[in-house]
Amino acid sequence: MAVTVQDLSRTGPTPIRGEQDDHELSSIFKAYTVSATFWLIFGTAVGLLLAFKFGAPDFWAGKYLTFGRLRPIHTNDVFYGWASIALVGTAYYVTVRSCGTKLYSTALAWAGLWLFNIAAIAGTIALDLGYNWGDLEYREWPWPIRLVFLAALIVTVWNILATIARRESQDIYLSNWYIVGGLLWTCIICLVAVLPWYQYGLGQVTISGYFMHNAVGMWFTPLALGLFYYAIPKVLNRPIYSYALGVLAFWTNLVFYPMLGAHHFLFSPLPWWLQTTAIICSVGMLVPVLGGGANYLLTMRGRYHGRIESYPLAFLFVGVLCYVFGSMQGTVEALRSLQAIWHFTSFTVGHSHFTMYGFVTFAAWGGIYALLPLATGKRPGQLGMAVHFWLATTGVAIYVISLSIGGTIQGLDWVHGKPFIQSVVDMEPYYLWRGVGGILMFLSHLVFVWNVWRMTAGKPGDAPSPIMQSEEAGA
Amino acid sequence: MHNMLMGPLWGIVTIAILVGAVTLGCFVAMFKFLIRPGEHDPHHPKYDILRPDR
Repeated sequence: MAVTVQDLSRTGPTPIRGEQDDHELSSIFKAYTVSATFWLIFGTAVGLLLAFKFGAPDFWAGKYLTFGRLRPIHTNDVFYGWASIALVGTAYYVTVRSCGTKLYSTALAWAGLWLFNIAAIAGTIALDLGYNWGDLEYREWPWPIRLVFLAALIVTVWNILATIARRESQDIYLSNWYIVGGLLWTCIICLVAVLPWYQYGLGQVTISGYFMHNAVGMWFTPLALGLFYYAIPKVLNRPIYSYALGVLAFWTNLVFYPMLGAHHFLFSPLPWWLQTTAIICSVGMLVPVLGGGANYLLTMRGRYHGRIESYPLAFLFVGVLCYVFGSMQGTVEALRSLQAIWHFTSFTVGHSHFTMYGFVTFAAWGGIYALLPLATGKRPGQLGMAVHFWLATTGVAIYVISLSIGGTIQGLDWVHGKPFIQSVVDMEPYYLWRGVGGILMFLSHLVFVWNVWRMTAGKPGDAPSPIMQSEEAGA
Repeated sequence: MHNMLMGPLWGIVTIAILVGAVTLGCFVAMFKFLIRPGEHDPHHPKYDILRPDR
């Protein structure tokens, strides 16, 4: 039985919100987006500086601007400043709207934003002063600061759960499964990462792999996927292709992802069975990735023209493609024969940008462009979104392709026993292209600032409604 | 690629069979939902989010 737009008007709970609730939700969404945008600019400016330090290592080489201090500042700020805050902001909007209710506590949402920002500011200062937790990737912040971040997560998950508990409908919409899952899992991951008594020897290596990969796959991935499950149907005015497939992808993500971390330490003294399990689970990840990706793309079927006219949909589309291909690339990298070449090379840097930028960041942008105008009533300019989209897409393509080719050459040089300096010489042109891609990406972020201004405090732009006409209305 | 840390062969085979069986089952379920998504009931939650926000 086909479902029509007329049917939809009769379904679903009656919203119980008032104007004041909408205004508060809009203020929170705006504040999270503006705050996240600041960290995007700061974190990627540092990243751009780092990219050029490969070509000119002595440039700005003072104590506080060394590569060793700036690199974790870049990764932690784009992770916990930009992506975390942006996705939590969209998560609040998605949860409230999909539950047809109002936010449980505005004060808790503001407290969470303050805690996220305090952690990011303190972490940045600590790292620049040389207070680094050591060689533990993505958890370089000293542990008290990571506890502040954990407090932000707990405040947020409490608020989201309490909001879902007061929903009008019987079911919990799929997006909220991913959002709550991501928040709860990350609380556990952060707690495991901070407990001290197994953080030595091989235990430390195992926990390091567990944290670094799950900080991506059990935090950013579920939040971004939850956003896809709301924003793509909303923009297209068409339901998700298969709800059941989304549920399957949720549970298979939980089954396979937590065991992946050891694939970062293949050929290490970690137990071989643990490494093998990590590889098999990496292959198992093809289920949620291919199933989820197909679900999003089948929802978009037949609306190809919309991807050209609607930039929110274009951002979401690129995000879905990078999710599918970036994750499949991760599976391939986990195979021993290929990791022997690619591990420790710039190929992995290309992979992390393929996923964290191409997937997570494009998902956040698509979600913000699709949903923030609905919250504030202000749209960006069509030209501004177009410039942002094409600069970012071109930039990340150049970045990922150059590092993938260069990283492969680098790895083959090492496998063939060439002197290390030969691999440095061979990488020279690819480092240059990496910088070119980075410049385009950073310029796109400046345009994004302008677009955020127009969607929040500035004069609204001329972009059409982010919600496309339904097929029935268009026919 | 041989490694001295390879470990017992049957341990590797056991892991591969167990995790492989779970993986295979998941793939079967994935294709089932891709081919027959169902969910035509207009009261299904996936249609609720399409209502106007206001």
